[in-house]
Amino acid sequence: MSEKCSAANKGVFSAAVRANKQLGQRFYQLGLEFSGAGAEVFANFKPGQFVELDVSGTALPPAEAIPEDLVDVSGRKVLLRRPFSFCDVTAKKNKTFAEILYCVVGPATLRMTTLTAGDSVSIIGPLGNGFWVPESKKRALLVVGGMGAGPLEHLAKVFTADYPDMEVIAFAGAKTVEELPFEARLDEISQQLGFSLGEFAKYGIESLVATDDGSAGFAGLVTDCLSEWLGKSDLAGENMIIYGCGPEQMLAQVAEIAKDKKIDCQVSMERRMACGIRVCQSCAVECRVAGSNETVYKLCCEDGPVFESREVVF
Amino acid sequence: MNKDVDISVNFSGIGLANPVLTASGTSGYADELADFMDVNSLGGFITKSITLKPRKGNATPRIVETDSGMLNAIGWANIGLDAFVEEKLPVLEKLSCAVFVNIAGETIDEYVAVAQRLAAEKAIAGFELNVSCPNVEKGGISFGTDPAQVTEITSAVKKVSGEKILMVKLAPAVTDISVIARAAVEAGANALSLINTFTAMVVDVETRRPVLANKTGGLSGPAIKPIAVYLVNKVYNEVAKGSGIPVLGLGGIRTASDAIEFIIAGASAVAVGTANFIEPGCAIKIIEGIKKYCACKEIANIKELVGSLEVS
Repeated sequence: MSEKCSAANKGVFSAAVRANKQLGQRFYQLGLEFSGAGAEVFANFKPGQFVELDVSGTALPPAEAIPEDLVDVSGRKVLLRRPFSFCDVTAKKNKTFAEILYCVVGPATLRMTTLTAGDSVSIIGPLGNGFWVPESKKRALLVVGGMGAGPLEHLAKVFTADYPDMEVIAFAGAKTVEELPFEARLDEISQQLGFSLGEFAKYGIESLVATDDGSAGFAGLVTDCLSEWLGKSDLAGENMIIYGCGPEQMLAQVAEIAKDKKIDCQVSMERRMACGIRVCQSCAVECRVAGSNETVYKLCCEDGPVFESREVVF
Repeated sequence: MNKDVDISVNFSGIGLANPVLTASGTSGYADELADFMDVNSLGGFITKSITLKPRKGNATPRIVETDSGMLNAIGWANIGLDAFVEEKLPVLEKLSCAVFVNIAGETIDEYVAVAQRLAAEKAIAGFELNVSCPNVEKGGISFGTDPAQVTEITSAVKKVSGEKILMVKLAPAVTDISVIARAAVEAGANALSLINTFTAMVVDVETRRPVLANKTGGLSGPAIKPIAVYLVNKVYNEVAKGSGIPVLGLGGIRTASDAIEFIIAGASAVAVGTANFIEPGCAIKIIEGIKKYCACKEIANIKELVGSLEVS
């Protein structure tokens, strides 16, 4: 993790579904189990890396279970795999368990909801570069926007296990409390300001919640919550690092804050991609070239998805 | 059942171990696929489009999924001729399968310059002339829809291609594809590949904007396969068969039976494109499937299958 880590031994693997739990109206967590070669390869899966999941052959839920806004797209045949990161990875003897946090947004994720224990799914991975931890950092700030929670939950786990001296604080934002992709504890969320989310609390990590409409925690953008918090911080910027995952607009603001406060910052970018293995060339991310005004397109799949925020042209 | 099936192909003088290639723009420069398949097991490999100068490509979104298909508008993002020669040719030199370089450009001079530079490279079996890309402002499809321009560009590139075979990749959305195919063959093309993608658009009804930054993109995948099979059959009957020019068939191939459809329709070889994004090793399964089919049908040589469509 101290070095920038790249995917090695990527390939096509099959995983068994262990569970598929509904966390909120649109949020689910899919539990997978890898055996054999897959167990070995995915045991080294780093937070921020991703996989490409094939659900083209998975059945749709019954008509009454399809949300109204997805009725039109639900009948569309799924062709391409879909990229997902893991929110948790546990390697045990001969088995590796991984969890995918997902939100139902279209024909593929709608199909995913019908996966049940014992089903088998095809997965390409591990793909891309995960987050890395530069030396001499004392405090890590995890900034989550909505569905960006997954890889940062995984990162939180790795911090707890491998970096016991690192102080870690999570900031989680969404438009409304319903759009926070965590196990429903709405009463608690709405009542407390300095609320601690179970997903991070289990690693001993404090978390702050922000909602645009004020339905839970800080009323406003998660980036404003972060700025306010940093305003009270006494630690020099160079001793901190920010990790961001969420909508691009949020990442752009996180990058601005990091630049202003002279804090190193890594962001996990998202792009439409067909393959995840550099051949389709669709997931271009515009990046600055050091010492020049030129920009280049890097590929989210293999050059990222985690980039240093100062590199990305938002 | 005949176990000794010969599925090797004489493709305009180039020996292919089998009739399955990977299509340009869906398999990178070959090293990308090494984790998923032994590229040497392919009949051949076609590089992504190489242009004289490096190209950044189009803004994003560059792709969108459609019903049984996808649109792409990459815009010839590639490292350019010099970097290709320096960084990628050494990788391709190690391949034992036939390597074709897809050449693209905004002007005829650019196509000529790339072909000229690569004509003496031993690693390369031939060129695929991209005169049918729908995703660039200049060049591409603007050449491939006009028979006079196809004649001009094909003969210009042929002059500098030396021993390399020259394959011309055809655009599907033309009034009569055989007119274009004939223009290419009469100007010196040694082979034809078809089809490239269809220019298409997806509209976001919330924003009333096209989903792709380029507004339009090329439709590929299973959705276009029946049209591709039809056009391969048409070009085979009307141009290729009579002139002894092989056809490389492509468009939505995912399985061995898809590939066999194209071969029966008249393709001497086929290329797998969009399916590489979903199952990067599927070309190998397709090769196995073709062998099995021939064995079951007691076809001793794949040649017997090419253009064997029964219409009576």
